[in-house]
Amino acid sequence: MIRFEGVSRRYGEQVAVDRVTLEVPRGSICVLLGESGSGKSTLMRMVNRLVEPSAGRVLVDGRDVAGAEPEALRRGIGYVIQSVGLFPHWRVGDNIATVPRLLGWDAARVARRVDVLLDLVGLDAALFRDRFPHELSGGQAQRVGLARALAADPPLLLMDEPFSALDPGTRRGLQSALREIHAETGKTILFVTHDVEEALTLADTLAVLDQGRLVAQGSSASLLQEAEKGPVRRIFGKESLAFHRLATLPASSLARPEDARQDLPMLPADASLKQALMLMLAEGSACLAIPAEGAFPGGTLHWADLVAPR
Amino acid sequence: MEPQPVAVLHATERREASAAPREATAVAVLTALAALAPFLLGFLSVAPNRLLSPRLVPLPVTTATTLCLGLFLVACLAVMLLARRAPLLNWAEAAAALALCSLVAVIGLAAREALQGASPVARAAPAAGLWVAMLLLALAAGCCAAGRSGTPRNFMALSVLGLAVLWAAGALADLSLAREAMARGGEIRLAFWQHLALAGGALFLALAVALPLSLLALRRSRVEALLMAVANGFQVIPSIALFGLLMGPLAALAAWAPALRGWGIGGIGPAPAVLGISTYLLLPLASAFLAGLRVASPAVIDAARGQGLTEGAILRQLRLPLGLGVMAGGVRVAAVQAIGLATLAALIGGGGLGALVFQGIGQLATDLILLGVLPVVALSLLADGGCAALQAALERRR
Repeated sequence: MIRFEGVSRRYGEQVAVDRVTLEVPRGSICVLLGESGSGKSTLMRMVNRLVEPSAGRVLVDGRDVAGAEPEALRRGIGYVIQSVGLFPHWRVGDNIATVPRLLGWDAARVARRVDVLLDLVGLDAALFRDRFPHELSGGQAQRVGLARALAADPPLLLMDEPFSALDPGTRRGLQSALREIHAETGKTILFVTHDVEEALTLADTLAVLDQGRLVAQGSSASLLQEAEKGPVRRIFGKESLAFHRLATLPASSLARPEDARQDLPMLPADASLKQALMLMLAEGSACLAIPAEGAFPGGTLHWADLVAPR
Repeated sequence: MEPQPVAVLHATERREASAAPREATAVAVLTALAALAPFLLGFLSVAPNRLLSPRLVPLPVTTATTLCLGLFLVACLAVMLLARRAPLLNWAEAAAALALCSLVAVIGLAAREALQGASPVARAAPAAGLWVAMLLLALAAGCCAAGRSGTPRNFMALSVLGLAVLWAAGALADLSLAREAMARGGEIRLAFWQHLALAGGALFLALAVALPLSLLALRRSRVEALLMAVANGFQVIPSIALFGLLMGPLAALAAWAPALRGWGIGGIGPAPAVLGISTYLLLPLASAFLAGLRVASPAVIDAARGQGLTEGAILRQLRLPLGLGVMAGGVRVAAVQAIGLATLAALIGGGGLGALVFQGIGQLATDLILLGVLPVVALSLLADGGCAALQAALERRR
């Protein structure tokens, strides 16, 4: 869907993005992870030509974006930013309708679309359609920002630290809303963040940037397995590396095939080892029962297996 | 014991509502002084003709003047009492306007009495006490307005209305100022329209320069630095000096292309005046335009670009509507400044109300100076009020 081919961006002497080659498959969430100043936002902004590459090229659907007219290109790509940037003098409905109106949709179709989108992002259309942005909480505003990006049904979404300014509870709510919307719509999402937890929660594939260079890419699990040295280890935090790793492994993989005792706390079969550890700590239990589900026959997870070297 | 705090709260609220507003004391002192001033400093002065110095005369006592004087004193007392209650501040302001109008009526009627049997060129003018009293009443009304966080609109409107009624009834016809105005009616009207043309022309010219330059400066920081440096630089040149500096180049221009003279362009006259005034308006206009164009935050602009709005659409749909209130504020400052500066145009033959002022200064004729100054003050207040209303309307629309 998106291909970066040897892309660089220089500002005078400063190299913001340094020869990055990366492919984002259609329908996946690719998270660009890095510290501030690592060039992740700059790399993302090259996709809709808010930044032009100094070298290399960016392909969307096999076509070089440099050949596209910038405004037309941007109308076909959803764009969500940390500070949301809703137009303060427009009502929520008008904000969401921005791109459809630019594309010349008729009023009835725009109105229907606004209601569908508000519903999709979990806001009551009748209640929110006619509000002004200053009447929204931070989380509600970013939900509207997400609806606005999805308005003209673009196949591709660019999200630049969209949830970083929100408090943790709201952030988790929006992360799961985004996962649901992704599952429902199958959009390709390029998501920029500096938050490791967020990256692991959302990513199908992870791309780690450090000082403009792409230092690692792949699935969360494979990245954490190999993250023994260098910038990746630093970015993930070497103290919590093992803990993050647990989040990428399914609990069922370590379960012993023994009949679960009835008095044990229950863990859903699709839970990760991190969730298993949390439940053990919360319940004060060294064993957890995992019920049968699908191909998994059910079993018991033991503390000893969790901490055993793998 | 839950309801008790509620009761206490109600009690304090009631006490606050009935307490005198903070401004009550100031209003009382100002109004008392206003009531005393004419008695201490004199009501009326009479001069044998318009150029000789006037002398104080005692207030002629007739039924009409006594009635009006009584009304003045009662109105002053009403101002002091009404200002002690916050909800009645509006009425205190109205009472101040009544006091002002009745005082003017006293002096108008007194002038008629004083001039009876005198030479036709004799002039009767308000004495110092009257001017001081009017100023103090205006200040008291201002305090009342401040007490309800507003502008003294009621006072101004009622005063203007009252004075207009007195004028129409002929009660003021024997005052020196009115006689001067009658004698020079045509001249004043011409000067008034010239003044408006000077100020309006300068404002228009400055707008035509500041708006495109501000738009350019938004993109290029070097243009912004240059624009602000030039606009600031002009402010330190005294206006008379600038008018003088413009004479040379404009005279040379007119000599080089004589056709321009037909348009009024030359070393003296309205052209250098309009040009000079407009340079002073660049600073308030350019700084307000730049600030207005930046009311739309960088985040909003980034989101707009990212959605595929063109730069033109960003200007029309975001920067202009969001910044209109701030920009109107700049036009307001510039308009008032233009009306004030246009007074100086008379010094280089540009005409306007300043011509009356300088002529009056030359002749030591106070009435003539006032006939130039009062319309300038009225125009400034009108322009300020008009722009303020426009600004409020634009900001409410957001």
